Amino acid sequence: MSKLKQTQDYEKTASFKFFRWISGEKDPYIGTIEMQEQSEHQVEDDTITERMWEKQMIIDEIYDVDHNRILTKFHKLYKIAAVLFCVALTFFLLLTVSYLPRTGNAANPDNNEVAQRYIESGLQETGAVNIVSGMILTYRAFDTFGETNVLFIATVCVMILLMVDEKTLEERSEARLNSGRIKDDIILQMTAKFLVPFILIFGIYVILNGQNSPGGGFSGGAILGAGLILYANAFGIKPTQRFFNEKVYRIAKVSALCMYGCIGLYYYTMGANHLADHIPNGIPGHILSGGIILPIDICVGLEVACTMYAFYALFKRGGL
Amino acid sequence: MTKEALELIYSNIYYVVLIVLALMLFVCLVRAIRGPRIADRIVAVNMMGTMVMVGIAVLSLLLKEGFLVDICLIYAMISFLAVIVITKIYVREYIKEHQKEVEEDEHH
Amino acid sequence: MSIIEHIRLLTGGVFLLGGLVLFALELYGIYHMKYVLNRMHAAAIGDTLGISFCLIGLMIFSGWNWTTLKMALVVLFLWWSSPVSSHLISRLEVETNPELSKHLKKGTLEEITESKEEQS
Repeated sequence: MSKLKQTQDYEKTASFKFFRWISGEKDPYIGTIEMQEQSEHQVEDDTITERMWEKQMIIDEIYDVDHNRILTKFHKLYKIAAVLFCVALTFFLLLTVSYLPRTGNAANPDNNEVAQRYIESGLQETGAVNIVSGMILTYRAFDTFGETNVLFIATVCVMILLMVDEKTLEERSEARLNSGRIKDDIILQMTAKFLVPFILIFGIYVILNGQNSPGGGFSGGAILGAGLILYANAFGIKPTQRFFNEKVYRIAKVSALCMYGCIGLYYYTMGANHLADHIPNGIPGHILSGGIILPIDICVGLEVACTMYAFYALFKRGGL
Repeated sequence: MTKEALELIYSNIYYVVLIVLALMLFVCLVRAIRGPRIADRIVAVNMMGTMVMVGIAVLSLLLKEGFLVDICLIYAMISFLAVIVITKIYVREYIKEHQKEVEEDEHH
Repeated sequence: MSIIEHIRLLTGGVFLLGGLVLFALELYGIYHMKYVLNRMHAAAIGDTLGISFCLIGLMIFSGWNWTTLKMALVVLFLWWSSPVSSHLISRLEVETNPELSKHLKKGTLEEITESKEEQS
């Protein structure tokens, strides 16, 4: 026959207490440890006055230029030490550079068969006279796609942090002082009227000539962005918003990136399976050559131009 | 005069021009550091940009690559744009601070 | 070598040297003048005439090329944009210098008009 314990005896055993702790009926701390509530830290007036007095004493005694000899010595030494530090840094950096192998040395680690393949059959396979453009937009097009993505993400982040909606911006600009700024400068406006089309055309020329001469999407896009910034600076934000506002910006950026992705995807699948792609390589040296390079250049150029202008507008006034 | 002698003369002229331009750049830089006002520094940097443009054009003829003059044009555009933006921003900030000081003086 | 090569070398060299001399004059002017509004007169020499002479010399060296056309475009762009830069920098100096009247011979426009109104 099993012996069942009485309730009072059972309550004194360890297993009862263990099972009670597991089930959570009784909190082991409440009632045994006393905790006081925390009150806010009160700073007494005496300590405040003492700190202010100490601060004033520091300013009076230590920063007293006339009587503090250590300070004047430090100021003189600081200039000499700054110049010496710059010279030493330059010297050590140049010393390190002199240890690098000469460019083009046959024993360099980057002179392997990849570079040779690019140089030897670059013109034939890509159709671009400028090997660098041909390489980054056909052989390494995926890396360039990643870079374009980075530009997109950068503007999105800046928009998250800095962008304010149009209503608050208009209220702010009315309350701001409008007098005395360099605003509506007639000389600048006349100059911008003649120069902005020139700059935009030059930017388009650099983009379209990516495969024939140094340039390509990135620098051409930067020039386009510079032209837009000049226009916005000379005439103000309202005339610029007539043709480049947030809607145009959104459409241009997203469609440029998506088109790059689609063209790249098509080309990767065709090229990897050695199928003939529909964009011909053309005669090297002409504008319509280089196969895939021209459409990708246009996409990248649009992307970079929108990025440049968006950074300027977002940092200056908080909205596009 | 043979062709090689002519090439040698041209190369030497270009090297001399480049060295002289580099020295003048350094002198401009000293002016940019020393100038007491902001406008001094902007003027000095503009001058440095102009000398660099001549240097780029000389380099394009020295290396016989015709497309480097594109870079010259881009540099001119970007330096012009930089001057415009800097002046506008500085004048605006200065006037904002000035207005604040005038208002504070009026309050006191 | 024909006479044309001689002429090209000489004229191009003279223009290039003249441009460098103008740059040197500009540098001397920048250090000699005392105030920034005066220094801009000196700086404008190099920006317009100095670079034009240098680039005309280089154009003569290069012959009938696309490169020559691009250099001519650079000169035109600089002729157009350099005076505008000077105008904006001088506006910056005038509007942000509280002690401007110290450097002027007669005074700013407001001071002159005020003194004329007081006289009449």
